[in-house]
Amino acid sequence: MADAIPVSVTVNNRTRRGLVEPRLTLADFLREQALCTGVHLACEHGVCGSCTVLMDGEAVRSCLLFAVQADGSRITTVEGLAPDEQTLHPVQEAFRDCHGLQCGFCTPGFIISVAAFLEANPNPTDDEIRHGIAGNLCRCTGYQGIVAATRQAAAALREEQP
Amino acid sequence: MKPAPFQYHAPETVADAVGLLAEHGDGAKPLAGGQSLVPMLAMRLTRFDHIVDLNRVSEMFGVTADNGGVRIGAMTRQAAVEHDGTIAERVPLLHLATPHIGHFQIRNRGTIGGSVAHADPASEYPAVMLALDGTAEIASTSGTREVPASEYFESTFMTALAPDELLVGLRFAAWEQPAGFAFDEIARRSGDFALAGAAVGIGIDEAGRIDRAAVGMLGVGPTPLRAASVEAALMGLAAADAGADAAEIGRLAADDMDPIGDIHASEEYRRRAGSTLVGRVLGDALAQLTTEASDG
Amino acid sequence: MSSTAATAVRYVGQSVKRLEDPRLVTGHGRYVDDIMLAGMLHVAFGRSDLARAAITRLDTSAAEALEGVHAVYTAANLNHHNDSLRSSLHPPETPAPPANMLADGDVRFVGDPYVMVVAESRYIAEDALDLVDVEFEPLDPVVDYEVAADSDTLVHPELGSNLAHDLKVPNPAQREVFAEAAHVITETWHQHRQTNVPMETRGMVASWQPHAGVMEVWASTQSPHELQHIGARVLGTGEHKVVVHFGDVGGGFGQKIFLGREDMAVLVAAKLLAVPLKWIEDRRENLLASNHARTEQMTVSMALDADGHFLAADVDQLEDDGAFPLGGPASPGAMATMLYPGPYRMGPVSWRARTVYTNTCGRGAYRGPWQMESVAREQMIDRVAREMGIDPLELRRRNVLRPDDLPYLVSTGLTYESTISPDKTLEQAAEMIGYDEFRAEQSKERERGRYLGLGIALYIEPTSMGMGALGTESAMLRVEVDGHVNLFMGTGSHGQSLETTMAQLVADELGVRPEDVTLHQGHGSGYGFGTGGSRSAVIAGGAARAAASGVRDKVVAIAAHLMEASADDLEVADGVVSVKGTPTASMTLAQVAATAYKDSDALPPGTEAGLEHTARYKAPPAVHSNACHICTCELDPGTGQVTLLRYVVSEDCGVLINPMVVDGQIAGGVAQGIGGVLYEHCVYDESGNPLASTFLDYLLPTAAEMPDLECGHVVVPSDTPGGHKGTGEGGAIGAPPAVFNAVADALAPFGVYPNRQPLDPDTVLGLIASAGN
Repeated sequence: MADAIPVSVTVNNRTRRGLVEPRLTLADFLREQALCTGVHLACEHGVCGSCTVLMDGEAVRSCLLFAVQADGSRITTVEGLAPDEQTLHPVQEAFRDCHGLQCGFCTPGFIISVAAFLEANPNPTDDEIRHGIAGNLCRCTGYQGIVAATRQAAAALREEQP
Repeated sequence: MKPAPFQYHAPETVADAVGLLAEHGDGAKPLAGGQSLVPMLAMRLTRFDHIVDLNRVSEMFGVTADNGGVRIGAMTRQAAVEHDGTIAERVPLLHLATPHIGHFQIRNRGTIGGSVAHADPASEYPAVMLALDGTAEIASTSGTREVPASEYFESTFMTALAPDELLVGLRFAAWEQPAGFAFDEIARRSGDFALAGAAVGIGIDEAGRIDRAAVGMLGVGPTPLRAASVEAALMGLAAADAGADAAEIGRLAADDMDPIGDIHASEEYRRRAGSTLVGRVLGDALAQLTTEASDG
Repeated sequence: MSSTAATAVRYVGQSVKRLEDPRLVTGHGRYVDDIMLAGMLHVAFGRSDLARAAITRLDTSAAEALEGVHAVYTAANLNHHNDSLRSSLHPPETPAPPANMLADGDVRFVGDPYVMVVAESRYIAEDALDLVDVEFEPLDPVVDYEVAADSDTLVHPELGSNLAHDLKVPNPAQREVFAEAAHVITETWHQHRQTNVPMETRGMVASWQPHAGVMEVWASTQSPHELQHIGARVLGTGEHKVVVHFGDVGGGFGQKIFLGREDMAVLVAAKLLAVPLKWIEDRRENLLASNHARTEQMTVSMALDADGHFLAADVDQLEDDGAFPLGGPASPGAMATMLYPGPYRMGPVSWRARTVYTNTCGRGAYRGPWQMESVAREQMIDRVAREMGIDPLELRRRNVLRPDDLPYLVSTGLTYESTISPDKTLEQAAEMIGYDEFRAEQSKERERGRYLGLGIALYIEPTSMGMGALGTESAMLRVEVDGHVNLFMGTGSHGQSLETTMAQLVADELGVRPEDVTLHQGHGSGYGFGTGGSRSAVIAGGAARAAASGVRDKVVAIAAHLMEASADDLEVADGVVSVKGTPTASMTLAQVAATAYKDSDALPPGTEAGLEHTARYKAPPAVHSNACHICTCELDPGTGQVTLLRYVVSEDCGVLINPMVVDGQIAGGVAQGIGGVLYEHCVYDESGNPLASTFLDYLLPTAAEMPDLECGHVVVPSDTPGGHKGTGEGGAIGAPPAVFNAVADALAPFGVYPNRQPLDPDTVLGLIASAGN
């Protein structure tokens, strides 16, 4: 068995140090060692997007990275988006307002992806939204509420940062 | 769905990376963006005793202007290729092809070198590289060699790269003459691998006649392919005439294909729809030339 | 029960934001994989790579020797509990395949589990699977369900036949009509194998407490009581010894109603080892070995008169049960054939339903398990319309049930209530899509070489069925000493928003706000079947409403006594009891509760202390809802690709509890239907090898493939309390034939007519090419 390797990863602004086997995925590290169980695993082969997190600000599939690769990086999971316990991030608020979730399992990955997508494209058309979020799969909503939520969040974020 | 154990190496220089490959031979695998390799490891469809992670080899990242063209470090992320101004200007076909690769989260990690080294016949960069006569820059402990695209792709997932060799960069020459470029593909869903795709560059001479035709195809053979019949038919034609006959000329591509069927599309489908697509993409590329001509 | 009228309807009918969402959008849901217990070990199953084979060697010693491995189990260790695996919907007297937790001596489909490893991590468990020394002797499998019944090769030799069911109900009147009819048209309609694909796979954490004899279970389930009930049987203990914790469930769509073989193996192994075990199915296992559905065909003959009036029908259904159908071999075919007449005056119907075993993944319930009736009927109607030269909307108008026809006794024995409205949803949907305008645009565009199509599907669906284990649900409602309302129910919300909708019902009935009500699912209430069969709004809702009503009566009685007012003069709203017209004379629900618990001597004489009520609701035989789906598409004749342009649904689910939630249920079902027709396919090759075992090959539609959905509502209240009807499955029933018909319509200029799905680009281009020949 391969030797465990020490890593230090900043997860939602807190430094997490751990010893990891090289094969441990970043997703499993975040779930089991950083206890960010909002990082969901729904395919483990990089298609569904449920495990999406921000790594140094970029949306990535955490099931396709090994924890050792994240050594020294900054990770934001869905748990790290809301500013405080009373307030939701505008994307989270929009998902709630627009019924962008039912079972909620794909939701954390979607919310991270939508936040990153809107950062790159703050004023998307509906068609751009549909293709922009096509890297995340949902089985409950038919994407109807998710597209609406992305639209609402875009407007809210534009207002926040004119 | 968890990968088998491996030893992890994170070299910081090409010299160290190729040293590790030389040391471990077949047992070592370079890890670039990991968007294809890690799923295969997770499903245990493949396994290696040693993973050589290239993500800390800083000299393998970046785009540089190169003798009128560009040199792209193999570890340059697809997202960086997508947004690079020099590439958009000098190698527009790469710029046009990149958004068709997976989804933005994939492109944030996936690298151009990873795609070309993996050599999936249905992926975008290999077809563009073949169409544009790009060059692979390959390093090993014995030095560096350059391999033209026409010699690089050997068969499905097989390339000129030996187990101890590392793809470190790609070179693309810019086209000097007026040219039109277009890329498109047919996929089951947004972001899926292509059932068939086409990467087309058409250049014209001063008289407005086609003197360079590059038609790359993906998803229709064991490797990316050139549509030689289409290219030959185009040479010497006036761009406007070719545009009017684009669909018919595109149909010639069926003879240049060697598709295999799978659960997403039969051999017959890939040939038929693929050649239709070649005609359409050809039309798009030619339309740019005729529009530019009438504008200028 | 008191007839106290509910306080004013304030929350039912509102798109109340979901109470579930704050935790779910911030990553603080609690799904089964989020349960981490001290000392917990992890399970992985070794599964057959062959469709049918004898196990000639199975040596687990190398796997057992691997560091970090605690146990490796085979059939010999676990299968002695086999007698107890039948689900509540599977009567003991019906023949069934051997219910082995682990394959014993032979394997019968690719994915059949034959070994179970328990290790310190899932990583190590999979390492150990690689070390299991197994040899198989391959045997010829039965893969094609169309010939399975006649095959000499038996999937289950114990049963003596591959034919699981054959139900024939001939109707002589149908034969007579056929003999005289102006037109008799026949076609066979094929659906293809699909699967539920909840985003959260199946999974379980089981923790045995020795000496106490208690099994604590956390599971991804739609039916916590079914888990408790069957789990107790498997463990040979009482239900009180099986404690089921119900957390968040990431979808199911029918897959998580019944226990799987793996679930039972985990329970038994957790007891054997007396260590907490976790099994989280991975996606490949889910696609290969959870359950499949919709592998079926229906041959339909319809008789019509010269004016296009339906006169009679003959319906013959054949369905693939796979090897080990989830929940038992009960066949939805009988329902599919019985329901074939749908919302039309169909005349006498003869029907036959057969189900066969094959060496493939077992059939399970998938949202609208008998939707083949609507698929075959609605596709048939469009086919008939084309053949007779009648517009498909017009043909439906001539035959749809209208208010004068109701209540309506269907020739197959069903009765439709007077509260259905298929004619109204048909007209509303036609108006929403702009039917006539579309037809004009379509013919104009055809001249320009664009191929547009429109498809209609009209259906009626029995929901909230009041039969057997499905028929009832209970609720226990308690106002706590601080005035907060706790509601305990046997439901298993896996995305249906029950924490919100049940709270809305209780809020109106009791006079509180939805956020004052917390739903606790899974234990604390009596047996209930859980969530499935579009039953929660009516049946669970009926129970919640009745429990709240009982408590409200008591609240009013206590408050009247304390305030020295007449109970008839009191109203309860937003948690305050007040005298009508005199809002200053009031007390809060918390004050009433405090009295009920802490000052019981102040209660009215004879009043029991405390503030709680339990009620069980029994549903009528069925509550029918109906809907009409219409969609339009464009077909690319060069590539065979279909793009959906618009999608409208007009539905009648009675009184809407939460319109946002209803529209969400419809949208999700529609997406599954669209996925089914255009993208999703569990492909097997001839040797029974599944070829779609990853998300790269099993194609769930993404946002880019979905059209915008427009929903219209016709509200005809049902006769149940509150007037609701079920709606959870409807989207997945209406969408497949609507999409299919739209593509068939777009193909019309080529003179071809599809009769099977999926309509992927290859199939569509092939149809176009065949037209040229």
